[in-house]
Amino acid sequence: MKKKMVSLLVAAALCGTMMAGCGSSGSSADSSATEAPAQAETQTEAPAEESSAEETQESEADASSGEQEILEFYHGYYQDESEWAAAQAMRDIYDAFAEQHADGPVTFKAIAVENRDDIVSAQVAGGSFPDLVDAGNAGISLAAIEQDLIYDLKPFIDERGLQDAVGLNYTQHDRDGHIYAVHDQIESRGLWYNASLFEKAGVSEDAFADWTTFGDAMEKIRALGDGSYGYIAGQGSCNIVNAIMATTEAGRGMIASDLTEETINSAEFAEAFKTAAQLDQANGSAHTTEDNGNLMADFNTNGTVGVLFNGVWNASAIDASLTDALEPTIFPGNVAIASAGGGLAVANGMSEAKTELALEFIEYMTSAEVQEKIFTEVQANPCNTTLDLDALAEASGDPATIKLARACSLVNGADIVVIDMSYSWGSDVSSAIINALMECAVSGTDIDARFEQLQKELIALIG
Amino acid sequence: MAAGKAKRGSRGRRRGRRTGFIIAFLAPTLIAFCVFYLYPIVTVFATSFCKWDYTNIANPEFFGWDRMWENYDYIFNTYPFFWEALRNSTLWAILGAAVQIPVATLIALALSRKVKGIRIVRNIYIIPNMISTAAMGVIFLQLYNPSYGIVNPVIRLFKKDFVDNILLLRGPAFIAMTCAYIFFTGTTTLMILGNIMAIPEEVREAAMLDGASGLRQDWHITVPMIKGTLRTVSILAATSGFLLYNEVYFLTKGAAGTYSISYVIRELAITSPRTQFGRANAVAVIQILAGMIIIVALHLLYSISPKRKRKWSK
Repeated sequence: MKKKMVSLLVAAALCGTMMAGCGSSGSSADSSATEAPAQAETQTEAPAEESSAEETQESEADASSGEQEILEFYHGYYQDESEWAAAQAMRDIYDAFAEQHADGPVTFKAIAVENRDDIVSAQVAGGSFPDLVDAGNAGISLAAIEQDLIYDLKPFIDERGLQDAVGLNYTQHDRDGHIYAVHDQIESRGLWYNASLFEKAGVSEDAFADWTTFGDAMEKIRALGDGSYGYIAGQGSCNIVNAIMATTEAGRGMIASDLTEETINSAEFAEAFKTAAQLDQANGSAHTTEDNGNLMADFNTNGTVGVLFNGVWNASAIDASLTDALEPTIFPGNVAIASAGGGLAVANGMSEAKTELALEFIEYMTSAEVQEKIFTEVQANPCNTTLDLDALAEASGDPATIKLARACSLVNGADIVVIDMSYSWGSDVSSAIINALMECAVSGTDIDARFEQLQKELIALIG
Repeated sequence: MAAGKAKRGSRGRRRGRRTGFIIAFLAPTLIAFCVFYLYPIVTVFATSFCKWDYTNIANPEFFGWDRMWENYDYIFNTYPFFWEALRNSTLWAILGAAVQIPVATLIALALSRKVKGIRIVRNIYIIPNMISTAAMGVIFLQLYNPSYGIVNPVIRLFKKDFVDNILLLRGPAFIAMTCAYIFFTGTTTLMILGNIMAIPEEVREAAMLDGASGLRQDWHITVPMIKGTLRTVSILAATSGFLLYNEVYFLTKGAAGTYSISYVIRELAITSPRTQFGRANAVAVIQILAGMIIIVALHLLYSISPKRKRKWSK
């Protein structure tokens, strides 16, 4: 009898647990039911009248229920201020916007996440898109564009005359006459060098005349024999390929478009890869990493590296003791890399009020006022082309900002400015190139053979 | 007659109640299994025969019977990293069972000895297991760093002019990655240790009386008695070796011939801007099948029974 009672109790407990589980799934079903209209909106291309009727219903429902709509904004500035001050500066900018609209019909809610690209991927796979997102290094999701999940910002930019405010975004993010994202910062890449180390090694600034003089300069730095080395290879070496490709018109065309078999088999690509690989091999695999961050302290803090391939934002990472020594410049051949990259993207098919607020946010982020903050506080190259960066830097009096202004001016004024090929060719392609370059850095590696293998890999990847 | 019928009836009712109880107990697990395991596995299998990428992310399309193997054809014959990944993952699975389990068993046997201070040693031994594999990857990245890591100076004792990064050398990179995970046997050791401790003391005493002590007792008494657990932990070690991902991500990102099956799946599904879900799922199906083969192989290996030997010896 006792056993029976125990069995009954256990069975009841299990059933209870199951019911609770069902209950919670029921509530999540409820919540998904409330979300359903929004998702349906994003998925279907309903006729305008129909969707506006739906929207009216939605806003009426909101009004009658007295609930405020929420515009969720996912961004990647999650770091603590002590870890990365720029993250706090960006959050402050977002908070200011939220405060300005606190009494509006839609609440602006900025959400800092570490895995925004994963969040976007997961949502897109499910046929939806975050209300508003600052897309990261993965760029704008092609799958989301194909599904018509992202709002076309071009009509808004044209109507408000924001072409100068969005700068490079206007041309680089143009996709068959549509603009799906606006990045408030331009990923501007050149290189940084240690002037003291150059002087010590007897290297002049002519080192950046071409890639041969660059290689000779690196050799002289290595010859110092005090533990100093040429440059941080690996992730950075991909920039060498990018910059060499940019020196010819044909190469520039190849970088600006999707990767094709023709490009993979082209003389331009072979020349760029092999030159970078030879430089890397001479530099040594000990100074090669797939993530610049692993060795960055050697340049910014220890001062034992001649050159660092990094963006203009490196200005804020330089140790105070090396402020005078570390200088920005651009790639040999007067080449710079500038990419709009990811950026702010808005979901298609939200309610009118939410879309309006999202668009207003983009205008706010590209406004001169906010762009100044992005330059002086976030220490990044702003997208707005109307700013006088040098004047702003002088006014700030901050040595890092002055250095940043110099770096930005060099990139913006370069004879040749090209996109980072990881955006145009895809991150899987660039990681295959980086891996091949890293393997070539090992002494004795047959560069020609590795390049042939890379060609096969790339042809397969684009297949 | 009537009494017999009544008896049969009550037996039937009892059986019915028992069946009801069994169903009630199993139902939650079965439902959870179907929702969280079976359904995704069926979906992965079905969509591996579909065109499913950025162009039709919300609507996977079946290729059609004549082209149904298209994803598999791409993976087997075109995708450059599949065979390398399969070879590496299989080797890691074999090494997981062949190296990790003997090491864990030896340590568990040592920890099972009643020696002063052994409890503290047990606790210390478990500490590295509390570190996530991601953090472990970062730690090993430092160990293998050619400038300040400890591995290169050791190599230089034998090869004076060695300056390369071992994570970029084909061959050594694979060994370095293997070392980054294979000796972390804390959980496995604990499982084996728990089983060793559960062996009745009388059995040991009887063995002692028969003159078996120390290593002989371990070999002839302890190990055979924990064979079930050894089989389980072998399967766990082999499958976790087969699924290795974090170490690849943190140490090499697939460079120098170190791709793994899990890494390839992520490359296709997430890293590739073309979001190649169909192809990734084809690799996932192969991963599932290979995992099942590993489990069956280990079961077979453990069922090569000494009983037969005994029969023969009779």
